[in-house]
Amino acid sequence: MGEMLIQLSPKQAKLKEELQEYFEGLITPDLQAELRDPEHFEGGGPEFKKAMRTMGADGWIGLSWKKELGGKNLSPMEQYIFVETVMRTGFPFPFLTTESVGPMIAEHGSDWAKEEVATKILKGELFFGIGYSEPNSGTDLASLQTKAIRNREGYLINGQKMWTSLANFSDYIWLAARTDFEAKNHKGISMFIVPTNDPGFSMTAINTLGDVRTNATFYDNIHVPESHLVGQPNEGWSLITSQLNLERLALVNHGPVEELYKNVLSLAQSTKINDNQYLIDLTWVQHNFAQVYSGIEALKLICWKQTWIMESGRLNMAEASVAKVYGSEFFIEAYRLLMEIMGELSLLKNDSELSILNAKLERMYRTASILTFGGGTNEVQRDIIAMAGLLMPRTR
Amino acid sequence: MDFSEMNHQGEIRDSLDRILVEHCVPENLKNFDAAFKHDAELMSFLASQGYLGLGIHEKYGGSGENLYDLGILFEKLGFHAAPLSLIGCLAEVAQTIQKFSEHESHQALIASILKGDIHTSAILEPLNQDPENPLTRAEIAGDKLTITGTKYLSELASISKSLLVSANSDEGVLLVLVDKEHANVSELTTTANTPAFKVDFDGVSIDRSAIIHAQGRGLEALKYLLQTSMVMRSYLALGITEKMTALIAAYTSEREQFGRVIGSFQAVSHRAADCFIDLECLRLVSQQAAINLNTNHDCENDALVAKIWAGNACHRISYSAQHLHGGMGVDKDYVLWRYCLLAKECELINGSASQNIDRLGLNITANQ
Ligand SMILES: Cc1cc2nc3c(=O)[nH]c(=O)nc-3n(C[C@H](O)[C@H](O)[C@H](O)COP(=O)(O)OP(=O)(O)OC[C@H]3O[C@@H](n4cnc5c(N)ncnc54)[C@H](O)[C@@H]3O)c2cc1C
Repeated sequence: MGEMLIQLSPKQAKLKEELQEYFEGLITPDLQAELRDPEHFEGGGPEFKKAMRTMGADGWIGLSWKKELGGKNLSPMEQYIFVETVMRTGFPFPFLTTESVGPMIAEHGSDWAKEEVATKILKGELFFGIGYSEPNSGTDLASLQTKAIRNREGYLINGQKMWTSLANFSDYIWLAARTDFEAKNHKGISMFIVPTNDPGFSMTAINTLGDVRTNATFYDNIHVPESHLVGQPNEGWSLITSQLNLERLALVNHGPVEELYKNVLSLAQSTKINDNQYLIDLTWVQHNFAQVYSGIEALKLICWKQTWIMESGRLNMAEASVAKVYGSEFFIEAYRLLMEIMGELSLLKNDSELSILNAKLERMYRTASILTFGGGTNEVQRDIIAMAGLLMPRTR
Repeated sequence: MDFSEMNHQGEIRDSLDRILVEHCVPENLKNFDAAFKHDAELMSFLASQGYLGLGIHEKYGGSGENLYDLGILFEKLGFHAAPLSLIGCLAEVAQTIQKFSEHESHQALIASILKGDIHTSAILEPLNQDPENPLTRAEIAGDKLTITGTKYLSELASISKSLLVSANSDEGVLLVLVDKEHANVSELTTTANTPAFKVDFDGVSIDRSAIIHAQGRGLEALKYLLQTSMVMRSYLALGITEKMTALIAAYTSEREQFGRVIGSFQAVSHRAADCFIDLECLRLVSQQAAINLNTNHDCENDALVAKIWAGNACHRISYSAQHLHGGMGVDKDYVLWRYCLLAKECELINGSASQNIDRLGLNITANQ
């Protein structure tokens, strides 16, 4: 083993630069305007769809996919850099569709799914909503009740999903349904590709604190042919969990918070509070910035180390959970500290006179909380850390 | 020492609860989520029942000068997320005039407020970190004042009859009552949809008699106004965080995952208990500040302590509540989200915790 090295390799640094340039070109003023509209925060608008097709054509979708499936097979570190750069721009890249669901379909799907679905995902032409959670199955996902009953032609699906984000502009739902009713919870689940244009599919919008729209989705006697099953029957759980560590890491990428820190810092540096002083001259403001800075350093290192561990193909349960708990809770602290610096101005909405930074600060704090319970709630992550990291007894 | 409330205070609390529970039902609150957030009907009902006179001297028709009583009103408005923003009117304007004005015309304004009219304050200025030292100027020439400057986050300014404005002058700080018609008022949009306004004074000329306090007492009056505002906002925060904590207790006692109620997970119950602890601290420091301000018009450190706790409790309890509710907490069909936005606003207005800690640190370490 060589000496420890904590920096991007020249090749990785070059990738980052290349990506930065690429996104500068991709994100046009029209797209920016569209993304400010609450309807389209999370994508789905015409400009967004155009950008996704361009990315597909330019080979920027499918980075995690194996080469033989048409992907780039980038290493975890390169994927991390990709996620970081995209998130800094604020572009709502549909990571779950393209980098989790996509490669699973490409690898485990039927011929139809491989040809019709996977290739179109790579081209940026198809979008998925994730149908895992249900009204009574959130953290305890394995208790889900949506049913898929086997019949001669395929499967008959009935049930309700909750918080199915992006369903409002998706072509398909990546749906977890119960296929074995005798087996223990997670052993009876299978994964399906369910078309949203089926007459048995319906949804109602759920509006949230962060102005992000999500949906309750309903499945009423939807029939899908066998080709819509992905993987083996009753083995869906391993598909759900296979990408979990990478997904958790993507959730707490240090890019967006560092970008926000830089935005607020330069605003505070140029903001006069009286004839002789800038906002940045106040001791407490310097303290707040320093707290955010030191928090970002730790987050960056945790994420880099975790990614580096994945590069060698190893998996470290405790450290993935450390990243998820620390990152999600740090975001909330960081947004608070930065809002304190701008004071009441950070309460103003985007369309208000006197608003700052397009109200990005205000909006980020409103969406921050969902990461502490989403992606595996933090209590459960702490249980994992105590068990896997400290070898302590399992909590009851 | 006696921590018990007086009989009438428990009664005020109970009867306000009865009124507001009935009035602030979700269907009604929804009407104000996007529209102008001022419930005129509730306002006139509170006026007719005498609640706007809490903390006001009997000679004006109030229930007696006691900020503790007024605090109960703000606590309850917060608890029920009432669509009324009354710190400017009831805490800043009415209380400061009552304490510092000797003019009959100004005192008449208190009677007008008790009837349900809005007279609000225009004190805060964008980016001015020191509201005791306003950037707004009042030029004095004989019997006339000319006021120039920009204020913001003035509550309900558009429907306010007059504005109590802080300004610097050659005679030091002044608090001046200006007719709303003399100001340019424009609406700001805030996350909590609070009716907050930017107010511009573009060389407004008024009579010297608009100054509400005796000569040389401007700074003292402004300090009192700011401290009263901080303490009443802490009471508002108290109500907001009490409600969020109650929602945590109720929801986690019912929601089941893994075949048991989530409140039975120790991590969940401990986090809820931490909210209870924060709440108790906030309640006590707010009560102490209100009681001390009743007898001493300059209790800056008490007010700062209350507001620091308000900021911290709002932040911590809001995120605990969101976390413990899971997705339900952010769903706009459930009640929690409104409280989260109100909590953030309470946290940041009248100085954030970091800013006030800095100020308190300077105060308590200064060599006498
Ligand atoms: C905006 C938004 C978008 C979403 N998008 C999607 C999506 O696209 N697809 C999808 O499938 N889902 C989505 N979700 C759902 C998300 O994954 C769930 O909210 C999450 O899994 C938590 O489930 P829950 O909300 O039912 O909370 P619950 O499971 O009820 O948990 C609430 C709280 O209970 C406590 N708790 C629960 N279990 C334990 C335990 N074992 N030990 C200790 N404490 C515990 C924790 O404090 C937890 O935070 C979304 C949610 C939101 C809010």
